[in-house]
Amino acid sequence: MTAINDVAVQQNRQQFYLFLARLYEHEVSPALLRQLRQLTYPTACGEVTLQAGYDQIHTFLTANSHVDAIDDLAVDYAKVFLAAGEPKGKAAFPYESVYTSKQKLIMQEAWEQVQAEYAAAGLALVTEQTDIKEDHIAVELKFMAHLVRTEASLAQQQIFLHRHLLNWVPQFCQDIARYSRTTFYPGVAKLTLGFLQMEAKLLVTADAPAPKPPSYALSYAAMDQIISQWQEHYHVYAPKLMASRNPDQPELVRFGEINSVKEIVTDRQSDFSAKEIYYPIMQTLFYFNQNGCQESQLTDDKDIILFLHPCDINALKRTDNIFLKNGGNEDIYYKRLRDKLKIVLLECEQSLPNCFCVSMHTNVSHNYSLAVRLGTDGVQVQVQDPSLAAAFSGMQPSQFTPKFVTANKQKAVLPEINNTAELKLAGHLDYWHKFDNNCIGCGGCNTVCPTCTCFDTTDVRYNETSPDGERRRVWSSCMLDSFTRTAGGRCVRKTPGANMRFKVLHKVYDYRQRFGGSENMCVGCGRCIARCPQDISVLDTINEFHDALEKAKSEVQ
Amino acid sequence: MENIMLPQAHKILKVLRETQAEYTFRVAYDRPTAYNQFFQLSIPKIGEAPISISGRGVGYLEFTIRKTGRLTNGIFGLGPNDTLFMRGPYGNSFPVADFEGKDLVVICGGTGMAPLKTILNHFYDHPAIARSVHLITGFKDVNAVLFSDELAKFAQKFHTIYCLDNMEAPGFHQGFVTQYIKEIPFADFADYNVAIVGPPVMMGLAAQECLANGAQEDKIWVSFERRMSCGVGKCGHCKINGTYVCLDGPVFNYTKAKNLFD
Repeated sequence: MTAINDVAVQQNRQQFYLFLARLYEHEVSPALLRQLRQLTYPTACGEVTLQAGYDQIHTFLTANSHVDAIDDLAVDYAKVFLAAGEPKGKAAFPYESVYTSKQKLIMQEAWEQVQAEYAAAGLALVTEQTDIKEDHIAVELKFMAHLVRTEASLAQQQIFLHRHLLNWVPQFCQDIARYSRTTFYPGVAKLTLGFLQMEAKLLVTADAPAPKPPSYALSYAAMDQIISQWQEHYHVYAPKLMASRNPDQPELVRFGEINSVKEIVTDRQSDFSAKEIYYPIMQTLFYFNQNGCQESQLTDDKDIILFLHPCDINALKRTDNIFLKNGGNEDIYYKRLRDKLKIVLLECEQSLPNCFCVSMHTNVSHNYSLAVRLGTDGVQVQVQDPSLAAAFSGMQPSQFTPKFVTANKQKAVLPEINNTAELKLAGHLDYWHKFDNNCIGCGGCNTVCPTCTCFDTTDVRYNETSPDGERRRVWSSCMLDSFTRTAGGRCVRKTPGANMRFKVLHKVYDYRQRFGGSENMCVGCGRCIARCPQDISVLDTINEFHDALEKAKSEVQ
Repeated sequence: MENIMLPQAHKILKVLRETQAEYTFRVAYDRPTAYNQFFQLSIPKIGEAPISISGRGVGYLEFTIRKTGRLTNGIFGLGPNDTLFMRGPYGNSFPVADFEGKDLVVICGGTGMAPLKTILNHFYDHPAIARSVHLITGFKDVNAVLFSDELAKFAQKFHTIYCLDNMEAPGFHQGFVTQYIKEIPFADFADYNVAIVGPPVMMGLAAQECLANGAQEDKIWVSFERRMSCGVGKCGHCKINGTYVCLDGPVFNYTKAKNLFD
């Protein structure tokens, strides 16, 4: 473990924050460029993103003359960060507010929050640059440097890092890569992201006296009392036994409203995921009448408290990316329900038979309002969200922090696809034909998946003569043979094998490529394995795909 | 917050009959668009589909639509003063600014000419901005010929080859567009671009033929057509690998397009 208290380490961290801050503060000056050229760039720093950043910057500096580089970088800086000559929005605006406010504006809530934090540290921003605000990335990085220099508690550093840098910088860095026309600023973006991710790890592993959120020990009766209090303002959903639509079939575990935590089923994975709560199977988008279209409204005022295992909390991040980030636009139908959610982390007593969350790095989540352990002698609760704290005042304090599973019975070995040639190889493996005679294209796997978001729209007319009707959207499935069918009957994917390849590549490669970072779409919940009427296991498929790809790679060489 | 799924009503100004199965609908519209971007067109209670702009003028847009499914059947039932619902514009367009000052080759098959027509008209109206324009366009037979007036107009200023799959006719050679690509003097071009739109097989073969005749991969542009339910990167139908046709396309440089597989 890195000795975080080592003086040299502290100085390096501080210097690196200041170095990054300088790169964002204004364009590269001739003096800075000369310095950058004189630096020795690490060739194997051990952190993938950071190293990619070093490599890209180094490549840029060696490929361009001093004069060319100065001009190109000035133009690129103005384009990327100031949107010079660009239509509105096509830039990586370096302010936290822009990334965290609904209207993507500067000087919003985040700006006020960081000002307050600076003030608490006895600091105020003084600058002659009018474009530098308190939540400008350079200022936030400098504040981190300040925290390191003044030896602020590691918990304090960690909190600022997560609340005000890691919450928006990953997306900001993606935007830099998208809008930059040089390789330099995308290199700087990678450097930034790699460094901040390393910092997050460093601060977690340091045995920091983190401010612990309060925890309580309750009886089941007391917990149920609190649930009934919540029900005034919330629907409380959790995995519970529900009758199957077919009365001959055994009960299913689905997400439904509970009145008691005793109803929660924890000894088996729910058959359906929780997505039906915040992304219903069928939704009315708008109504048609003689005057045009009228957006559907939510009629229920209550917010939602949702009990989720860590894999499903991580799944929410995936659906957020599709509905709130992909294409740079937000889907209001998803957002209006998503905004109602408060998450209760349901601690996993054990890893269940089909789980492979550890392989997918989804066994842990800290994104919750409350964490709950349903023990034999009562309920343990940790409260992270002040808005739900009141109900627990006066309860018996405890030392509870949730535990996470650290091993599953089964492992997924993910395919390694490093370039376009390998992707092509992966997409054209004979392996996929295996599913042509096996998969029946029912789409059950997509239905139970917490990260599948695809939909169709369909129009409904109330009767033949009425001008009234509505447009609905309904879950769709990439495993159906109609998924790519256009008017006239043409389909681009024609076989179950092709559909399976499309689905699996999305779950373990395409999504990660599109949104950057290391997260795959699949969260390893194992629901599709249990659901498949043909006993096709996505886990086996991932592993066999990996092996088939490695074999194909070795044959190419 | 803006609801991107909500379409707006637009008045149909005119319906031009191109062939028995293809009509052009002129619709009132006065906001900016780029050449061949697409809109989600819909009729309440029937449905919605992506259609490219085929013509632009002051206060209107045109969409050339082939009658081929439930929605397009419905649209064919509409006439002047009726209402068409639209949302958009979505997607990118051919990089027309980069086409200027160079030689331009346009290759289209059937209704593939619709999205390229705005670009052809741009170069027709401003002949000085391109060094030359070569247009090869093919249709199934005489009854399938689209935009006859414009074809005649383009022939005056561009190097044109018009062809029909399986018959000869005045002004038209017999054969597929791919047979005539060898007529394009790629070797004489200092810098050039090739835009190809048509059925998927035709686009693939035409690109191959261009390469065989000395064109460079990065000079070739193609436009994809996919099923879409949203047009804004949510519904998942048009995704190919990590690419969303509605967001990142529909126009792709061949260097990217050749690596996409469905």
